[in-house]
Amino acid sequence: MDDTYGLGSFSLMPSLRHRLTPLWFISPWLLGFGLLVVYPFVASLVWSFCRYDMLSPPEYVWLENYARLADELVSGGRFGQAMWNTGYFVLISVPLSIGFGVGLAVMLSWRIRGQAIYRTLFFLPSVVPVAAASVLWMWLLDPQAGIVNAVLGVAGVDGPGWFNSVSEAAWLPAWFRGIGGFGSKDALTLMSVWGVGNFMIIYLAALGEVPRSLYEAAELDGAGPWRRFRHVTLPMLSPVIFFNLVMGVIGGVQAFTQVYIVSEGQGAPAGSSMMLSLYLFLSAFKDLEMGYASAIAWVLFLIVLASTAALFRSAKHWVHYGGASP
Amino acid sequence: MHLALMGAALLFACPLAWMVLSSLKSGTEIAANPTGAWPESWQWENYADAVTVIPYGTYLRNSLVLCVGCVSGTLLSCSMVAYGFARLKWRGRKLMFGILISTMLLPWQATMIPRFLLLKEVGLYDSLAALIVPTFLGDAFYIFLLRQFFLTIPEELSEAARLDGCGEWGIFARIMLPLAKPALATVALFQFVASWNDFQGPLLYLNDPYRFPLAYGLERFVSSYSSETHLLLAAASLFTLPIVVLFFFTQRTFMRGISAGGLKG
Repeated sequence: MDDTYGLGSFSLMPSLRHRLTPLWFISPWLLGFGLLVVYPFVASLVWSFCRYDMLSPPEYVWLENYARLADELVSGGRFGQAMWNTGYFVLISVPLSIGFGVGLAVMLSWRIRGQAIYRTLFFLPSVVPVAAASVLWMWLLDPQAGIVNAVLGVAGVDGPGWFNSVSEAAWLPAWFRGIGGFGSKDALTLMSVWGVGNFMIIYLAALGEVPRSLYEAAELDGAGPWRRFRHVTLPMLSPVIFFNLVMGVIGGVQAFTQVYIVSEGQGAPAGSSMMLSLYLFLSAFKDLEMGYASAIAWVLFLIVLASTAALFRSAKHWVHYGGASP
Repeated sequence: MHLALMGAALLFACPLAWMVLSSLKSGTEIAANPTGAWPESWQWENYADAVTVIPYGTYLRNSLVLCVGCVSGTLLSCSMVAYGFARLKWRGRKLMFGILISTMLLPWQATMIPRFLLLKEVGLYDSLAALIVPTFLGDAFYIFLLRQFFLTIPEELSEAARLDGCGEWGIFARIMLPLAKPALATVALFQFVASWNDFQGPLLYLNDPYRFPLAYGLERFVSSYSSETHLLLAAASLFTLPIVVLFFFTQRTFMRGISAGGLKG
């Protein structure tokens, strides 16, 4: 402040200040990164080796929590159920969402009157708050009072139990039983397909950037609509499909709000909608088993990490970047 | 072709249309005739009833406080950090940016428990501040989005300002922020919608019903009034409507943001 010794604070200070400027700019994130990412991340790893009920300090039990997880996984306990349900939901809803997202975007890219209206109609469900969408679908799919089953009834079909049923439609026996095989996880899948508008917009933007010359060249080579789609459109969309796949898997594994609401906060019925994120939440905030819940959190993190890594490794075999060569 | 598109559009639009139409029917009409679309008699009083049965005004005020707080926090912190990453040169910038990007892949559950205890420890439990304060510490996705935008602004503008003796903060506040208005609007919009819709945050941090925002209040309403379908649908419509209206007025900003985030991601 007062430069009694004439040390030239004018020459020293500005350069130091200049060098510290970037630090000030990124300081909010640095603080957030330290307090809300690094610390919780490390703490939950440490606590996953502890018994911790929040009332008394954490107490090391080493691998006990993980042993319990392994045991529940093998014996089909609640954790095993949560793993199964999460896998079932992700493996079915993500590919379906990609299929519908690409399909709708391609349909919208046809030059058709009222394109903007259709685009809005498809996109609208994805801005509906998840909490409202869950309430809405619980009502639409109510086995007795819901519209979907009422419409099916008019068509002479016995509607499925949806959120009230433990069935899983992906199994052949379910198809033999007719449409009745759709259960709680299939209803959640239906909800997630309904909200596909977000990704559809991204596909639509990507479709707009495919050079017309590629289609013209393919046409000159005698390629029909299907081969043009297969050999021009799909490769050109592959980076977005990859993005959708990664975000879909990450989002699907973490899905919480809709799961919590439709399952009355407990994975109902009979644990058929108990997912990893819900089990983690219940273990932590209902059973107050913070140590055990931290172990679940780490397993969930490792699953996300492993699946993301696997997807990135697979990408070089099927994702075409920088596009002019299909 | 046109027919397929119309059919699909109908299927997508039906649930919402049905929600709004049925919210105007009487409870007995919904029960008696679940497939009917048009209400026999328009029960506008369902909305008045829903607003009195649930403390809609209180929830709405909480939602607005939450949204405004989070949008301010996000705009302030993310624009600063994005500027630091996009326009300033410093050692370790690339590495730090890589770390920032990788935190986007981190599931929120992995840090949920210690984060909860930390915020509780500093006295934020059962207060909207528990949800607002973290937005002042930046968000990787929005920082990324704004950085991409700042990168497109020509360096000559900053250089000229520097020659005129303008400091970095001046360049940031007087040149960059005004130019970045479209990107800031996108981020503000996304954060507003995210806060409006947020369910798990209030579920985790709030306990006093007078502090509940709409998203969480609505769910509590469902569990206690599940038999009153007409009120339930009216409440759900009242919660969804503001977002739908917002979307109609900001469609271009919305769509631009989504495709920017997706394509460059």
